[in-house]
Amino acid sequence: MHGVTGRESVMAFSVASPMVHTDRTAKFALPVDSEHKATVFKLFSFANPHMRTFHLSWISFFTTFISTFAAAPLVPIIRDNLNLTKSDIGNAGVASVSGSIFSRLVMGAVCDLLGPRYGCAFLIMLSAPTVFCMSFVSDASGYIAVRFMIGFSLATFVSCQYWMSTMFNSKIIGLVNGTAAGWGNMGGGATQLLMPVLFEIIKKAGATPFTAWRIAFFIPGWFNVIMGILVLTLGQDLPDGNLGTLQKKGDVAKDKFSKVLWYAVTNYRTWIFVLLYGYSMGVELTIDNVIAEYFYDRFDLKLHLAGIIAACFGMANLLARPFGGFTSDYMAKRFGMRGRLWNLWLLQTAGGLFCLCLGLVDSLTLAITFMMLFSVGAQAACGATFGIIPFISRRSLGIISGMTGAGGNFGSGLTQLIFFANASFSTEKGLTYMGIMIMIVTIPVSFVHFPQWGSMFFPPSQDIVKGSEEHYYVSEWTDEEKQKGMHQASLKFAENSRSERGGKVASAPTPPQNTPNRV
Amino acid sequence: MEVPAGFLVVYLLFSCFVASSYGVYFSSLNETIIVTATPTQGQVLKAGEDQITVTWRFNQTYRAGTDSAYKTVKVKLCYAPISQKDRSWRKTVDLLKKDKTCPHKIVARPDTASNNSFTWSIERDIPSGVYFVRAFAFNAQDEQVAYGQTTNAHKSTNLFEIQAITGRHVSLDIASICFSAFSIVSLAGFFYMEKRKAKASQQK
Repeated sequence: MHGVTGRESVMAFSVASPMVHTDRTAKFALPVDSEHKATVFKLFSFANPHMRTFHLSWISFFTTFISTFAAAPLVPIIRDNLNLTKSDIGNAGVASVSGSIFSRLVMGAVCDLLGPRYGCAFLIMLSAPTVFCMSFVSDASGYIAVRFMIGFSLATFVSCQYWMSTMFNSKIIGLVNGTAAGWGNMGGGATQLLMPVLFEIIKKAGATPFTAWRIAFFIPGWFNVIMGILVLTLGQDLPDGNLGTLQKKGDVAKDKFSKVLWYAVTNYRTWIFVLLYGYSMGVELTIDNVIAEYFYDRFDLKLHLAGIIAACFGMANLLARPFGGFTSDYMAKRFGMRGRLWNLWLLQTAGGLFCLCLGLVDSLTLAITFMMLFSVGAQAACGATFGIIPFISRRSLGIISGMTGAGGNFGSGLTQLIFFANASFSTEKGLTYMGIMIMIVTIPVSFVHFPQWGSMFFPPSQDIVKGSEEHYYVSEWTDEEKQKGMHQASLKFAENSRSERGGKVASAPTPPQNTPNRV
Repeated sequence: MEVPAGFLVVYLLFSCFVASSYGVYFSSLNETIIVTATPTQGQVLKAGEDQITVTWRFNQTYRAGTDSAYKTVKVKLCYAPISQKDRSWRKTVDLLKKDKTCPHKIVARPDTASNNSFTWSIERDIPSGVYFVRAFAFNAQDEQVAYGQTTNAHKSTNLFEIQAITGRHVSLDIASICFSAFSIVSLAGFFYMEKRKAKASQQK
């Protein structure tokens, strides 16, 4: 199977050329590279497996966002039904994003070991009952507990990003990941529109408000179930088939969890991105939780109008997050990885600045304007982050994606706890302080350095061996593992990632031990 | 180019901070209306079941003719301070158009000289809390000109409690359990079937 097995005996630094079939014999609807990942992104196609995976993936993620933030636009009704105080509401918001800190970490490992398809399907179908549980809630503690449980489903983010990385080539991964995640995140906006509308319809049908909101929760629950079934029946883990089947046939080597975890945790870049993502994605989640209520209370808007404005924030993801991925890929073409890092810093800092302004203004029009500018900055930064993550590690991509995703939720929980669950801060003060915190937290991106590509301020290593992509990616494997040929996929990835050098790819010096790639 | 743009932004921001502060202030109103309501101090009423009868009249100790400006009277259900605690969406603000103390309307009537009374069934969307009743008199320009309330100036006497409906129903609970069971069972079914197929293909 096209060099994917680890079994051929080969020299340490060569790609197993005799076993690799050229791209042209691979029978896929899209052009593919040596790992059978698509090199082209055809948005409106549903071709199996690449584009179908894309659509299944983003729609399931979208569904979990709808479920997790379904309560937010209905808080003005729920707070009266359950007699909630401001700290109850704030704590529920923290709870809704905290559950997935844990589940995103676990999901990373699950994807590495069992495949993204099972991970995704299990999660959304097991979280459907938690959504239906809203009909039982009668006080603050029940409300917080249910929102906590529903929040676990946000781990579909990890399966989504992981699945995209197995299906699409690194040259377009920024755009693809950004689009999939961005469209998924739109769920946080769509729910602000959907739930008030459902609520109004159910009320018109005769239900009293305190019952109508409970009935409205059934719809996100059904979405969960339907998407789970679709993912199981229509999806596959890898371009060549399902992980379980490929592993049983001996085609994909199984890796050890402890090793995968070790290489994720000991890479300092992982931790910088965990922190950063907490203040791009994290603030997006926080806003999804507080913004509808903010507009309802501060500007005295009706529930559905506040919902529409709040929805605009989340819906900006349609273009904003893919835009961040696109600018990341674009900057990489000219400036390589350095371009990607600068792009991220600029977008995220701009987002922080606009958030600061959002909290300061008193007029509705200005508030909406700054909210939209803030949304573009923060969401594009999310897209830009995941344009860089696939390059941190090849072996531990799943866990690193999981940890970063968890960092996003951690940042959101922390921010809501400090700035929005406290009766002593008004919400507008909380927004301003959050904006300042974003700008400060984004500074560490300047410390991310790749020996082969450099960093924001420093050039790549001049050493011929240490400055090569192969050296960076293969250093994650021990000599025995290399003997078994387990590092083949990393080698292939290193070759495909040479584009991160930027404009002058052709003149990259080849390390002396390498056999030429095209014999 | 940047300096004028910066100026413009600062000016726009500044102009929006100047909050609109016109309107009637509660502290400017006199309590010229006497309002009484049937609930006694500490009584607990149930939303959707119980009723409140409110009566109001002009306090004759004030100069006669003061009430000639009153065109309509609006009677409202208001939160007592304990129900406003930690709930900034129910905050008392002196500027009446921003005040959130009394969001629930009981009745609006044109002002008449004789004793006015109204019996109100407590609606099912009234939240649980401690309440009192307040009536506002409006002039022809629809501005508040006077008020009256069942409690004292500190809002500490003659407060009553309302218990809201839960909003839960047995039919909802059952539907919820059924759909949850469906989700779990179909997931388990798929998983089991796929494991069987994988075993079968491995044995080939």
